[in-house]
Amino acid sequence: MDQKSIRNFCIIAHIDHGKSTLADRLIELTGALRKDKIIQQVMDSMDLERERGITIKAKAVRLSYHSRAGKLFRLNLIDTPGHVDFSYEVSRTLVACEGAVLVIDATQGIQAQTLANIYIAMEHNLEVIPVINKIDLPGSEPDHVMKEIETVLGFKSNEVLLISAKTGQGVPELIEAIVHRVPPPAGRSDLPLRALIFDSHYDDYKGVVAYIRVVDGVMETGAKLRLMGQGTHLEVLELGYFAPGPTPEDRLEAGEVGYIATGLKSVKECRVGDTITLASSGARQPLIGYELPKPMVFAGIYPTQADEYADLREAIEKLNLNDASLTFEPESSPILGQGFRCGFLGLLHLDIVIERLEREFGLSLVVTVPGVKFMVTKTDGEKLAVTSPIDFPEPNEIQKTEEPWVGISIITPSGFIGALMDVMQEYEGLYKHTEYLGQITVMGEESQRVRLEYEMPLRSMLTTFYDSLKSRSRGYASLDHEFLGYREARLVKLDVLVNELKVDAFSRIIPPEKAHDTGKSVVAKLKEVIPRQLFKVPIQAAVGSRIVAREDIAARRKDVLAKCYGGDITRKRKLLEKQKEGKKKMKMIGRVEVPKEAFLEIMKLG
Amino acid sequence: MQTGRLHRFYSRDAAICYNQSVMREPIGLYIHFPFCRRRCNYCSFVSYENREPDIPVYLECLKREISLHAGRTGLKSIYFGGGTPSLITAGQFSELLHCIRQAFVMEQHTEITVEINPGTLVPGYLNDLRSCGVNRLSIGMQSLNDDELRLLGRLHDADEALRAYRSACDAGYENINLDLIYGLPGQSIESWQQTLNLAASLDPRHLSLYCLSLETKARLAEEIEAGLQPPLDPDAAAGQYELAEGILEKRGYCHYEISNWAKPGYECRHNLSCWLMEPYLGLGASASSYLNNRRRTNIACLDQYISLVSSGASVPAEADEEIKGDLKQAEAIILSLRLEKGVDIAGFNHEYGIDLLDCYHQRITELEELGLIRHNENSLLLTPAGRLLGNEVFWRFLPEQPV
Repeated sequence: MDQKSIRNFCIIAHIDHGKSTLADRLIELTGALRKDKIIQQVMDSMDLERERGITIKAKAVRLSYHSRAGKLFRLNLIDTPGHVDFSYEVSRTLVACEGAVLVIDATQGIQAQTLANIYIAMEHNLEVIPVINKIDLPGSEPDHVMKEIETVLGFKSNEVLLISAKTGQGVPELIEAIVHRVPPPAGRSDLPLRALIFDSHYDDYKGVVAYIRVVDGVMETGAKLRLMGQGTHLEVLELGYFAPGPTPEDRLEAGEVGYIATGLKSVKECRVGDTITLASSGARQPLIGYELPKPMVFAGIYPTQADEYADLREAIEKLNLNDASLTFEPESSPILGQGFRCGFLGLLHLDIVIERLEREFGLSLVVTVPGVKFMVTKTDGEKLAVTSPIDFPEPNEIQKTEEPWVGISIITPSGFIGALMDVMQEYEGLYKHTEYLGQITVMGEESQRVRLEYEMPLRSMLTTFYDSLKSRSRGYASLDHEFLGYREARLVKLDVLVNELKVDAFSRIIPPEKAHDTGKSVVAKLKEVIPRQLFKVPIQAAVGSRIVAREDIAARRKDVLAKCYGGDITRKRKLLEKQKEGKKKMKMIGRVEVPKEAFLEIMKLG
Repeated sequence: MQTGRLHRFYSRDAAICYNQSVMREPIGLYIHFPFCRRRCNYCSFVSYENREPDIPVYLECLKREISLHAGRTGLKSIYFGGGTPSLITAGQFSELLHCIRQAFVMEQHTEITVEINPGTLVPGYLNDLRSCGVNRLSIGMQSLNDDELRLLGRLHDADEALRAYRSACDAGYENINLDLIYGLPGQSIESWQQTLNLAASLDPRHLSLYCLSLETKARLAEEIEAGLQPPLDPDAAAGQYELAEGILEKRGYCHYEISNWAKPGYECRHNLSCWLMEPYLGLGASASSYLNNRRRTNIACLDQYISLVSSGASVPAEADEEIKGDLKQAEAIILSLRLEKGVDIAGFNHEYGIDLLDCYHQRITELEELGLIRHNENSLLLTPAGRLLGNEVFWRFLPEQPV
């Protein structure tokens, strides 16, 4: 295939605006899969991802297209993660493309991640083709959205396409637009090999499979290669492209997209963003700087039953083979036993990892309150990175504490500005700026949309923030955030004591002004979720030795089967057996039996 | 009488078990009548409304079941439960008892109990039952507060219940039980005290007091869920139970089982059989039997029971398990602990060939530390706190692996 006939592009969009459906439609229309072979949203091959409507693993599909002018083109569609947690992976993917189809939902207009994505696309000088999707829906307002695109993004209306990915309307025109507007890849086959790893995936049989974009030179099966950033040496055991299933090939030339099977043991050996070149007489300059993704959110993960620690360790290690951004270290807690302190790119990443551990590996887990990484300077000058409240030094040892801050971008109909300003204040946000966007119909009325810019400590975002935002804006607000840097903070550790025993899992680092209120709500919640025991249980919240809140759980007095006759006996015995089984699932805090759900409930508190 | 006819049973082994057991010790006989005029709001028993026309056919099925088990077995007790057994006419009872007498060997003082719903009595009924040989009545009084009776959805009011008791006395019954329920939503301790005192002042030989417990499908459970009734209050119920213990002790009742009180000598023999793990045979839909270490429960569906039995097939089992080893020990301990005299340590050790205090040492120590049980050289017993928190005691004795 002539390099000039290749088009490498991706689809970028806010969640649920139709990225995956559009991908399906493109695959179908270019004949890569017959209609009946397409399961919904073909490219999301993990159950979890399909449920949440998001993609985590980027995939690349080669499509063949005969243009209306009669020429044959090769379109490489690269799918991207849409979420800010994975922005590092998104940006690597964009480097592999020359163009991006920006999908905007006709019923919603520009949302926070629409903007986040387009900024990254423009940073990488991609040719962006905006499309307004879901024009088939009754609530669609393509005119309003068009105006918004013109004002906010600066496109002319004749540059914007109207489509319905679901029905296929306008999609053939989109493919033509991709062919005409996205430039062919630059790069030369006669130069030494340089290929970008834009994603990787561990396979039990093939080892690490790296998704690559060949920029210069030629990739061949059997080639001996070197990673320019990490220095790892590897060999191409298998080479190919996806159409959409893996299809082996002997060579991939400059401008092409495909995969190589490396035989490497973990994705950490073959990191996204690195440049591949030949082991001997390779290229001099890597394609882009690459950096290790930095975990931002930390939590302790423990098995509910202590004897499942080994299973947990094995599961995390396996997950890690395929998730280079997950970090973990053994940790132990007097109450919870042996576990791990894990680092995640963000809350979504945390949710996904927990769900995969529970679902794919059948584990029952207890997860501590998520936190950020604090930088603490002690009075003796020592600087500590603290990722767990357990390690937070005593107040009298602390000279200075710094915590990560994020810039927040909220897009909302103007009617909710008041409510959202309240939310932001509650969550320690600092107002920066308001930008005006377009119009949209909200609950039957025309409404002005705005973008609010705030700064807030990442710590405040970690529990109920997102839900509060959504509920105070009736679901209309969308959110994006980016890391700003560390700032000084005045913080204390709030401890929780159950039956006079300190429970590390419930400790959290908060501003001193919030100690009383947070303490009260944590204590009240625990009283609600911890079942009555055979003895009275005091629940206390404390900062240092000072108790800031307290509730007592009265002892249980009655629990007996009133009737036990004849045939009943087997049935009643089964009830008792269930009761006995239920006890096993409890986590013990000293003598107090606490259901696993209790930990989750406390985690959710702001 | 049709002896020796063995139909297809659930399994061949079960058939042999039944046949063998029939020759040994006297047993209790339970017969279930799953018919009610109207379902009470708290009911979770196997019973059907508006199926009274099926009673005659059902009775024929019972007779067939009786004949299947015919043999030279003695009967210690017969218990007619339900549903509402008092919907069965005296004449029908007479036929049934006749059939039973043909099939089994009655003892001189076989206890024969019928459950009575005060809302279904017609004049002379109790007298006629007495003539058939019924010598014990269990009257479903539940409460003597009309508001509470309405809340429970009972067919009768307090007056009818009191009259039922008097009719029973007039008919010559001496051995009468009254059923009462406490722990009702919104029930005050005063209201409970009134009901209890009034019931006790009638001086019945036996009282069964049950704390209200609701399965999710009971009408009352749904009302509570919907906020139409206050939620159940286990602390109030505990107080009501303790009050009852005090009142009935003063009145000379023996608190012989967690939920049952009796004047000395008037303990319910049929139920004692269950708690002592003695054999009993259950007939009718959903009835259970415990014979030769097997507990078997008949199918509960009325239609299936009738169609299968009337077509000549055997009664299919809904559950059938062998009770042996650790499981049998666990059940023996749990059931005996429900009784005031507790577990007879020497008897247990002899029966199971182990040392109870030794084998269950850890659990017993834990429970004693919690103040829920105690023991002396003869017996293992629940403490007063243990009677209220019995489940905490019971589940700990369950075996580790399912048997």
